[in-house]
Amino acid sequence: MKIDYNFAFFDEGSKREIRRATLKAVAIPGYQVSFASREMPIARGWGTGGLQLTLSLTGTEDVLKVIDQGSDESVNAVNIKKLVKKTTGVLNTDDTNKATLIQSRHRIPEKSLKDKQILVLQVPIPEPLRLVEPSEYKTKRLHAENEYSGAWLMLFEQIMKYGNMSTGADHPVKVYDRYVMAPSPIPRFDNPKMDYSKALILLGAGREKKIYAVPPYTKVKSLAFEDYPFEVESFEDKECRLCKATGVFMDELIDEDTKETYYQCNDTSYCLDRLNNRN
Amino acid sequence: MKLDMVHDIQRTYRKVLNSMSRPGEIENIKNESQKVDIDTEFFNSTLVLMFMLLDAEVSFKIISNKEDEMTKFINQLTYAKSKELHEADFIFLLNDAKKEDIESTFKKAKVGDLINPNKSATIIVESEKITNEKDLTLKGPGIKEVNYVEVKLKGNWIEERNEKNIEYPLGIDVIFTDINSNIMCLPRTTQIFK
Repeated sequence: MKIDYNFAFFDEGSKREIRRATLKAVAIPGYQVSFASREMPIARGWGTGGLQLTLSLTGTEDVLKVIDQGSDESVNAVNIKKLVKKTTGVLNTDDTNKATLIQSRHRIPEKSLKDKQILVLQVPIPEPLRLVEPSEYKTKRLHAENEYSGAWLMLFEQIMKYGNMSTGADHPVKVYDRYVMAPSPIPRFDNPKMDYSKALILLGAGREKKIYAVPPYTKVKSLAFEDYPFEVESFEDKECRLCKATGVFMDELIDEDTKETYYQCNDTSYCLDRLNNRN
Repeated sequence: MKLDMVHDIQRTYRKVLNSMSRPGEIENIKNESQKVDIDTEFFNSTLVLMFMLLDAEVSFKIISNKEDEMTKFINQLTYAKSKELHEADFIFLLNDAKKEDIESTFKKAKVGDLINPNKSATIIVESEKITNEKDLTLKGPGIKEVNYVEVKLKGNWIEERNEKNIEYPLGIDVIFTDINSNIMCLPRTTQIFK
């Protein structure tokens, strides 16, 4: 059976709903705007929030890049790319520079983003206070009252237990000195890229029905204490096994035969680009 | 040619989104608005914005000399409900609005509450002209250093807007348009200096 889907999958009413929420999200940086999240042909929690944002944005002239944990070619990225391409006919690319829209799961690309680009991040848990307060009713009030002791206490407890802030990813940030926001599970390494970013950053959580945003040139500060400053993952003295890059976010891998540990760029298109332009 | 409700609206949205994320940047939707083939007494660009924003889920208010007539027309066109000024989600200040109406619109529009600051009004204003002349200085999120704009509009709307947005995150967001289909947005976070 052949079904002729609408352009960008959605009916216009759904797009309108997402667009209205997005405009409000941009006007209130870091505030999670509730929206009527739609059923998608992929499972909730697999990027439906990001996908809904991407579909509401996409037009015929767009060039789309989708990455999943740094990779352009993992299952999640490929499926999302295929769905958008099939329903819109837009061009896909792996090249960060050529993309007008970049949907990403858990990474911000190594190449710095440009003015007219839009970065869409997929968010599993948009609420930075969820670990300390399970009730949505209450967390909404905590945000209203600018009451973020919970987030600070979480970091404090980590320092007490482990001697440092042990947030592997999703280290909470404060946006425009007002809202504490979950930056989606990007590594701490990527948090500083949000601060005064040239590109607009939109974050979508489909299952949790929330859209929020960081406009360009907006202050984004990772939560930290005076005596325990915010630190990004360090890859000092490490270089990529393939392209010899340093100072980028790397995957730690183990050679099964020799049991040796080696490192490789996490952003595959960045690595490939360096390899291709080596000569 | 007829306005394409999918692609023209999408292009308009991207331009409005860009202006909303970069306050003071002027976008133009003439390519889209000139396709409008419905006769109205307001700007074509405003009608395109109505198609982009309004449906049965939201409410609107028209500020114009011919309010009753226009309200009926827009309700039939978009199915959006008309509500009082202090309750409306989208307020359209049309070009024939009087000075007092402009000021009272900024004064009475809803600002949301601390739990739901997004439940605030968006005001769409038809002004005579929007340019990047160095009249008003803008600062805030989305602006690298400063942006300059000139908005030709009657009344003390700047003071009223400042007063309204004093308790961030509460506030109103404004989309300006003009006869040449220019679009410029001022979200609540933008500070205006004269």
